Amino acid sequence: MANFSIFFFTSILLLPLLCQSFSTANPTDKRILVLLDDLAIKSSHSIFFKSLQQRGFKLDFKLADDPKISLHRYGQYLYDGLILFSPSINKFGGSFDLASVLEFVDSGHDLILAADSSASDLIREIANECGADFDEDSSAMVIDHTSYAVSNSEGDHTLIASDDFINSNVILGSKMIEAPVLFKGIGHTLNPVNSQVLKVLSASSSAYSANPETKFTSPPSLTGSRISLVSVVQARNNARILISGSLDLFSNRLFRSGVQMAGSLTKYPKSGNEQFATELSKWVFHERGHLKAVNVRHNKVGETDEPAMYRINDDLEYFVEIYEWSGTSWEPYVSDDVQVQFYMMSPYVLKTISADQKGLYYTSFKVPDVYGVFQFKVEYHRLGYTSLNLAKQIPVRPFRHNEYERFLTAAFPYYGSSFSTMAGFFVFTIIYLYNK
Amino acid sequence: MGGSTHQNTPVSSTAQVSSSNNMKADLPFSFSLKTFKLKTKQQELLIRVTILGLVYILAFITRLFSVLRYESMIHEFDPYFNYRTTLFLTENGFYEFWNWFDSESWYPLGRIIGGTLYPGLMVTAALIYWTLRFLRFAVHIREVCVLTAPFFASNTTIVAYFFGKELWDSGAGLVAAALIAICPGYISRSVAGSYDNEGVAIFALLLTFYLFVKAVNTGSLAWALASAFGYFYMVSAWGGYVFIINLIPLYVLVLLITGRYSMRLYVAYNCMYVLGMLLAMQIQFVGFQHVQSGEHMAAMGVFFLMQVFYFLGWVKHLLSDTKLFQAFLRVTLTCTIGLGGLALGVGMASGYISPWTGRFYSLLDPTYAKDHIPIIASVSEHQPTAWSSFMFDFHILLFLFPAGLYFCFKRLSDTTIFIVMYGLTSMYFASVMVRLILVATPAMCLISGISVSATLKNLTSLIRTKNKTLHTGSSKGTVSAKASSKASFDQSPPFGKKTAIALLVGAFYLLSQYAMHCTWVTSEAYSSPSIVLAARGAHGDRIIFDDYREAYFWLRQNTPQDAKVMSWWDYGYQITAMGNRTVIVDNNTWNNTHIATVGRAMSSYEDEAYEIMRSLDVDYVLVVFGGVTGYSSDDINKFLWMVRIGGGVFPVIKEPDYLVNGEYRVDKGAAPKMLNCLMYKLSYYRFGELTTEYGKPPGYDRARGVEIGNKDVKLHHLEEAFTTSNWIVRIYKVKSPSNRW
Amino acid sequence: MAKLSSSSSTTSDAKALFQTLRSAYSATPINLKIIDLYVIFAILTALIQVVYMALVGSFPFNSFLSGVLSCVGTAVLAVCLRIQVNKENKEFKDLPPERAFADFVLCNLVLHLVIMNFLG
Repeated sequence: MANFSIFFFTSILLLPLLCQSFSTANPTDKRILVLLDDLAIKSSHSIFFKSLQQRGFKLDFKLADDPKISLHRYGQYLYDGLILFSPSINKFGGSFDLASVLEFVDSGHDLILAADSSASDLIREIANECGADFDEDSSAMVIDHTSYAVSNSEGDHTLIASDDFINSNVILGSKMIEAPVLFKGIGHTLNPVNSQVLKVLSASSSAYSANPETKFTSPPSLTGSRISLVSVVQARNNARILISGSLDLFSNRLFRSGVQMAGSLTKYPKSGNEQFATELSKWVFHERGHLKAVNVRHNKVGETDEPAMYRINDDLEYFVEIYEWSGTSWEPYVSDDVQVQFYMMSPYVLKTISADQKGLYYTSFKVPDVYGVFQFKVEYHRLGYTSLNLAKQIPVRPFRHNEYERFLTAAFPYYGSSFSTMAGFFVFTIIYLYNK
Repeated sequence: MGGSTHQNTPVSSTAQVSSSNNMKADLPFSFSLKTFKLKTKQQELLIRVTILGLVYILAFITRLFSVLRYESMIHEFDPYFNYRTTLFLTENGFYEFWNWFDSESWYPLGRIIGGTLYPGLMVTAALIYWTLRFLRFAVHIREVCVLTAPFFASNTTIVAYFFGKELWDSGAGLVAAALIAICPGYISRSVAGSYDNEGVAIFALLLTFYLFVKAVNTGSLAWALASAFGYFYMVSAWGGYVFIINLIPLYVLVLLITGRYSMRLYVAYNCMYVLGMLLAMQIQFVGFQHVQSGEHMAAMGVFFLMQVFYFLGWVKHLLSDTKLFQAFLRVTLTCTIGLGGLALGVGMASGYISPWTGRFYSLLDPTYAKDHIPIIASVSEHQPTAWSSFMFDFHILLFLFPAGLYFCFKRLSDTTIFIVMYGLTSMYFASVMVRLILVATPAMCLISGISVSATLKNLTSLIRTKNKTLHTGSSKGTVSAKASSKASFDQSPPFGKKTAIALLVGAFYLLSQYAMHCTWVTSEAYSSPSIVLAARGAHGDRIIFDDYREAYFWLRQNTPQDAKVMSWWDYGYQITAMGNRTVIVDNNTWNNTHIATVGRAMSSYEDEAYEIMRSLDVDYVLVVFGGVTGYSSDDINKFLWMVRIGGGVFPVIKEPDYLVNGEYRVDKGAAPKMLNCLMYKLSYYRFGELTTEYGKPPGYDRARGVEIGNKDVKLHHLEEAFTTSNWIVRIYKVKSPSNRW
Repeated sequence: MAKLSSSSSTTSDAKALFQTLRSAYSATPINLKIIDLYVIFAILTALIQVVYMALVGSFPFNSFLSGVLSCVGTAVLAVCLRIQVNKENKEFKDLPPERAFADFVLCNLVLHLVIMNFLG
């Protein structure tokens, strides 16, 4: 009985933890909803799904028009991530729609979206909201007559091979992807207004986007390396989105197939797709590149308590600990390019803060000779990493009336004269009175 | 004082007292006093004290209209800051107050409160509060603050009495006290709840003048010292002390020129100047201005001039030879003038002596502010005075003033010269700036007091010489004693007794009219707290709009502790005091650039404004809007000032962009920039759907009487957070930047 | 400059002036002479400080001001006292010298207290 009650209480204590979707203690998503056009995709893309499951994710497969789809219950999200492998869906089932996908992302959850040449308006719109505009011509595909993948079956050069990756170890893993990635699908461009979206895999300069079956009536709207094949978005709340113009990129068929780029003699026995997709999914689901800053504190040199206010020209120390999530645990993040600003309308102090091996960053500086409401600001934006925006407000006051320097040597004559007039006054009083 | 309660009934009706204090009030007393068998002198004293006591009470209670009509609350804008600082002072003590750095206003610059305010008012209120607490009266500090101004107005009447007595005679003093007790020009700044510097400062001003005149009359160091302390109190209370430090040297100069220089003047002025200056330097906010700013140089110049004058007089006294003295005079004069000019030039050039401030310039040249400093010109208090407001605030004093001047010139002395100069200069200033009517009020009352008293005295003495049996007791109180000691002016009046009586009745009629007018003005115009608005409903009933407080309490309850609120500076003090939130700018307009930044944000398009607001970490924007209620002093009507002030610093903002053919309008014909600027959008958001008045299209602005031009207002970076029940205050939340973009 | 030029032209005049002044001054009562001495002492102290300020610079401005103003204040008050106790001044017949001196002491006390506050 006692045993049972202990279990009961621990489970109650754990309940909030279990319910928490995007916990800072463990940023990697665990529960993922996968929406499919067709349950066949589950088997045709099984390698990708299996790799996720092996890494501890619980995948919940549903048809995209399943009326029972619901992302949250009782105000809590049921999933931490969403994979949309349903390019042709026009309307999701249930109460699930465009707005709820965006809301899901805006509340800090991750999304993988794959389209292909049959992409519906709904999918295009979701991508559009994330800053990626698919080619508006619904029948267009990315065609590349110079860097297509040499294959025996297809001759229209829509299966292209690209090795134009983004140069980031954080996003694509530290192991270099040797083989080109096979891509068959539609291209998109990045919205220039959007500063959060990044091209991960871009087409070569000879690519263009057009309908392979018809002849040109007008020059293609998308050409060259402007075409993005795969893009990622890291939102301001650190939710991550992957947008791919090709669903096939994740398929077992392309994972397994060998690749030889046109014009190249090297023939790889296995395409780069598996590595690419796996590493990218690791990034999207926060297994890599997730930073956290904790224990931000500051104090006067020689003290340990954090004051409510500084005085001008105080010497202060600033500490912050930064950790990176390795997928299983928090590891110290050591870098030499983290900077702290002491900011009021403009940075008055800008210092690089140095870290020890435990991820503890430390610096000390003098408060400028200006009073006002300052902020300690750490704005750390590195490609692929979650952005750190730490701001801590602290007022800086001027000297109190009794904190100014006293008994200045330069002023001694004045003191002397004041006292001498005082003495003179007494002498005068005495002389004057006795003189009568 | 048994009779005083008896007499209190007409006091509360206010209409009677001022006219009666000279004559009528004495009647019942004199009869009852006869029975006490008091000597004439004692009778007179008793009557005088009683009248003064009644005036004292009257001055207090006539200012309580606002408390009775509304509630015991702080009025207007600045008083909220004073209240907040007083609260801080009573809670944290004087040293914390002195060193207070306020991070809640002027974000992110902050404001050194202790060094940028005149602490006199707060310290006074805190002292009263502590005294009351010491005497075991459990009052709240707010009550003390509300009643400080009436209390000091009462004290002012006492000072006015003594001043009048010093100037003319005790009769004039009594009349002056009664006049100033109910003069609207003074009441406008000292009703209960109007917890502002001026309430205390007018008392200090009059006290300083009185003590100085006393010092000049007696030539005593002690009076000069007292006047220096009065000056110190004035400096600690109000920036208007500059008036004193310029008027007194001017007065001294006039006396020197007219050959009325005396040793008494030397003693009074020098002691007062040196000690007053030294004491004034103890106020942080004033600091070294007495030796550095151009406004104070006149006093210093006159000080040196006095020394030279004295020295010359002394040498002249020693040398009886005029020829030798003239040679000596030539040498010294050229030396001093040369040295003085050199010192002033060096001081100006090296920047030790700062040039005059804008407010001072705008006093000398009324059009200066309009052209150069929009922030000064934007305040309605700084506008030139209209004739009607003179009439409104002074009523018959306006006619009595020249008469008083006549009497003063007739009996010219050091003191009357002073009051004449005070009267004339302050009248000039009053006509330049509305708020300076306040400074002119005591002079008006004193001079009018002289004229009333002198006229009545002449008339009654005329009546009495003809028929001694009539009116003997009545006029004894104030007039007869003095009348016998001094020669009256009109010994042989050309008209008879009946004319005199008719004139007397006429004078009483005028005075009672004055009393009526004052009471009416006080109750109708000057007792509104302006934070709670009252209007007449369709059926003549009174409607109260308590929207301001509603909004501020919403802010206090529903926003994060460190939220920053942007609004036009008028509302800054109220937001910090009542909403307890950080503001970007407030009524202490010390940083023009910061205000201009807010003005720029308000007059830009929404996305530009959003960038500015982001850079200032603004969380909420508060606008005041009167389109629903017809409240005309709202932000749309102030908007052109925001444009001007913003444009003064940021040339991107151009006033013509907001006008159509030089006309300011908000309807369909308005300028496109006007229709899409932030202020317009925030004011009229969702207003297009609202029908405000029966028979008018939706979106009909009642404050301006037009249908608005842009009914479909869409906001992208802001969202409506709160709108008060009558739409007077609207609060918007600044959204954080889009998540995915 | 002015003094120099005029004195060169009328040196004899100046000499005569000086002589007359001296002889006239010797007639002043002794208590007034004490006051004069006191005033001269104060003015000299003030002048020394002004010269010192001109040399060193006006950095502790409040100290400088309090130093100079204490001298100026002392001098002015003393002159006031001198005026009041001078029997030749008819204006102050009503004012007894004791009262004048008491006022003088009071003012001086205030002056020095404020100076003490202002000095640091």
